[in-house]
Amino acid sequence: MMGSDRPLEVQVKRQPAGAVVSLRGSASAESAEQLRAALDGLAEQGCRQVVLDLTELEFIGSAGLGAIVAGHLRLRCRGGVLKLVGPSQPVRRMLELTRLTKLFGVYGSVAEAISAEE
Amino acid sequence: MSPSDDGQCESLTEIIIPSDLSAAKQPEQRILQEVRRCGYGPQEAFAIKLALEEAITNAIRHGNGNDPSKRIIIGFSVSPQRAVIRVADEGEGFCLEDVPDPTADENLERPTGRGILLMRAYMNRVCYNRKGNEVTMVKLKP
Repeated sequence: MMGSDRPLEVQVKRQPAGAVVSLRGSASAESAEQLRAALDGLAEQGCRQVVLDLTELEFIGSAGLGAIVAGHLRLRCRGGVLKLVGPSQPVRRMLELTRLTKLFGVYGSVAEAISAEE
Repeated sequence: MSPSDDGQCESLTEIIIPSDLSAAKQPEQRILQEVRRCGYGPQEAFAIKLALEEAITNAIRHGNGNDPSKRIIIGFSVSPQRAVIRVADEGEGFCLEDVPDPTADENLERPTGRGILLMRAYMNRVCYNRKGNEVTMVKLKP
């Protein structure tokens, strides 16, 4: 996670309990819209639980964080929930600095997030 | 950090880009190349990339109002002791005191407004000119 220039890859896997969205590479200001669109799409489809897997996310800035917050709002409006999984130490530090850990459950694995009480 | 370490008097290499996020890649890559060449660690490289991206994004969106005819001037100097980065826009500037605290309970769900907080958290020094359209940031090498 250090100064990565790998473009953002957003992979969406639908599951019976909702969807797992895996992020890879760099969620920069330029690519934040890609993440926002993916989360908006799931909210519009009525997805009730979205697990955002950050395990392979190498970089995120405030625009990427904003896309996650916007996704959380969209999902909640439709009765859904957004959960975060596996942030690296720098991403976790950023979530703590911004106090976004107060908005989201942060879990160690996708399985743990899916089975956790909302 | 002594007053002379604020980067204000530093001689900087300048790159001028249009108000376009895709144009920010080239100066970002060049600065990070210098950062690595001077032996900064991955955590410092991450901090500098983050602060640079936040400053440029603010300059494009808030400073220049996404006006492609307006320019962003990025100045930098990287030595084995410290990295100094300056980002200036052609906007009217802003007052730092008017920026809401993004960590306040009532602002947590706002999708925007975290850039300055992150710049201040990850750099050793962040200061604005009087008008508020130019920010200078310093990262010390541990």
